[in-house]
Amino acid sequence: MKVRVDLDLCESHGVCEGHAPDVFHVGDDDVTVVLLPEPPPELHDAVRTAVSSCPKQAIFVTED
Amino acid sequence: MTTVDDIDITDKAFWTQPLEDRQAGFALLRRERPIAFFPEPDFGGIPVGPGYWALTKHADVLEVSKTPEVWCSGRGSTSPTDFPPEMMEFFGSFIVMDDPRHARLRGIVSRRFTPKSLEKVLLDVQKIASELVDGIADRDEIDFVQEISAPFPLLIICDMMGIPRSEYQTVLDATNKILGGGDPEFFSGEDFMGEVVGAAMTLVQLVNELAEFKRKTPGDDLTTQLINAEVDDDVLTPQELGSFFILLAVAGNDTTRTALSHGMHYLTQNPDQKADWAANLDTLTTSAVEEIVRYAAPVVFMRRTATRDTVLSGHEFSEGDKVVMFYGSASRDEDVFEDPDRFDIRRTPNPHLGFGGPGPHFCLGAHLARRELSVMFRTLLERFPDIHATGDPVLLDPQGLPLVTGVKRLPVRLSA
Repeated sequence: MKVRVDLDLCESHGVCEGHAPDVFHVGDDDVTVVLLPEPPPELHDAVRTAVSSCPKQAIFVTED
Repeated sequence: MTTVDDIDITDKAFWTQPLEDRQAGFALLRRERPIAFFPEPDFGGIPVGPGYWALTKHADVLEVSKTPEVWCSGRGSTSPTDFPPEMMEFFGSFIVMDDPRHARLRGIVSRRFTPKSLEKVLLDVQKIASELVDGIADRDEIDFVQEISAPFPLLIICDMMGIPRSEYQTVLDATNKILGGGDPEFFSGEDFMGEVVGAAMTLVQLVNELAEFKRKTPGDDLTTQLINAEVDDDVLTPQELGSFFILLAVAGNDTTRTALSHGMHYLTQNPDQKADWAANLDTLTTSAVEEIVRYAAPVVFMRRTATRDTVLSGHEFSEGDKVVMFYGSASRDEDVFEDPDRFDIRRTPNPHLGFGGPGPHFCLGAHLARRELSVMFRTLLERFPDIHATGDPVLLDPQGLPLVTGVKRLPVRLSA
C-alpha cells in the first residue's frame, strides 16, 4: 500500500492522525506529513479508515 | 400511536415538538422509511417545487457528502426550495457553490482557518471565555444564552474580523433574523423575507465599511488578510467579502451558541456525567465536546441535488431530484452508534456528522468550534462545578423546517 496526501485539498483537520498516528502527522506548520508512505499491513485498516473519514477527501492510497 | 405516515418534517408542527419527540420521529423514519419523500415548504412568491427526499441514515449522508460530482450544492444547499441563484449566493457564499468556484473561495478563506493561522484567535478564545465567566461570577442565576452562549462566539468572530464591539448587537440581531426561521420573537412585522434580506444587507454594509477602513489602516485581523493581496495572492471582491461575512456571522455564531446551550441542558440531565467531566477535564474534554456536537446537531440539514440519474441504497434517483441530509438523525443511527439516544461524554469512537460529512463542504470552522466548546466548558466547570440549568431550554419557534436547532433562553444556576 502506498499513501499520499494531496496538500492542495488538505485543510489540516488532523482526523487522519487520530485514526493512524503512526502514518500521519499534522506538523506545527499545519502541513500534514505522511510518516510512513508504505505502511505495514497491520496499519492498512487504520489508513483506510483515515481515507474514508478525511473531511476533505485528500488522502489517496494505492493498494498493492 | 404515531405511524411513519403521520410524519411530515416540512410541517412546523414537527419542529415545535419536544426534542425527544423529534428524535423519535427520525428513529421511526430510519427504521421504516430511511429515504422518505416530503413536500417543499411554501415561502410565498417563490414557486413551490416537486418535493425532496429526506436522508436519515448515516451511510446515505456519508455517501452523498463524498460524491459532490453526483450530488451538487450549486442548485441550493440551505433550503429544499430553489431560490434564485444570486439570492442563494448572497446568503450562502461558497456553501451553495460547486468546484471550481467553491474551491477558489474556500481556498482563500481556508488558509486563514487552519489551527496555526487561528493561533491568535485561539488564544483570544480563552481570554474571552474568562472575561464572560468573570462577568457572571457574582450572580446566582443567569440566562445562559444571553450571558454566555450568545456573546461568546459572537465576540470571537467580531474580534477575529476586526469588528468593534460597539457593533456586537447589530451583528447579533441580524444573525437572529437570518437564522430565526420566522420566529415571531425576532421579527417586527409580517414581511419575513424582507426583514431577512434587510438583516443580510446590514452585515454586508458593516463588513464593507470595515474593509474600506482596513485598506487604509491594515490590522492584525481576518478582514485585512482577506482583502489585502500579497503578490499573486487571490483575494475576495467586496461582494464576495460581504457574502462570506454573512456566512461567517451566521454559521460561526448560531452553531456554537446552540451547542453550548444544549450541552448545558444535557449536563444538567446527566449530573453524574457532569461530575465525571469536571473531575477529568484533561482527559474527557475532547470526547465530551464531540458528544455534545453529535447529540445537539446544531445544523439540522443541508441539501444536495442529483446532477444525473443515480442509485443510493437501492433507491433510484433522477437528475434534478433533491435530497436533504438530516445530520442529527444520521448521528443517532443505530447501525453506527451503540445506544444512540444515550448522551455519553466518554463515547469513542464517535463518527458523528455534526460538522457535515467528509467532502468539499465539511465545516470550515470545525477547529474553531471545537476549541470554543472545549474552552468554555472547561472554564465553566473549573469555576462552577455545580452549574446547572433550572428549566428547559426555550427553543426557536420556527415557521417550518429550520436550518438550526436554536435555543433562545436557558435559565442556569451557578451553584448547587
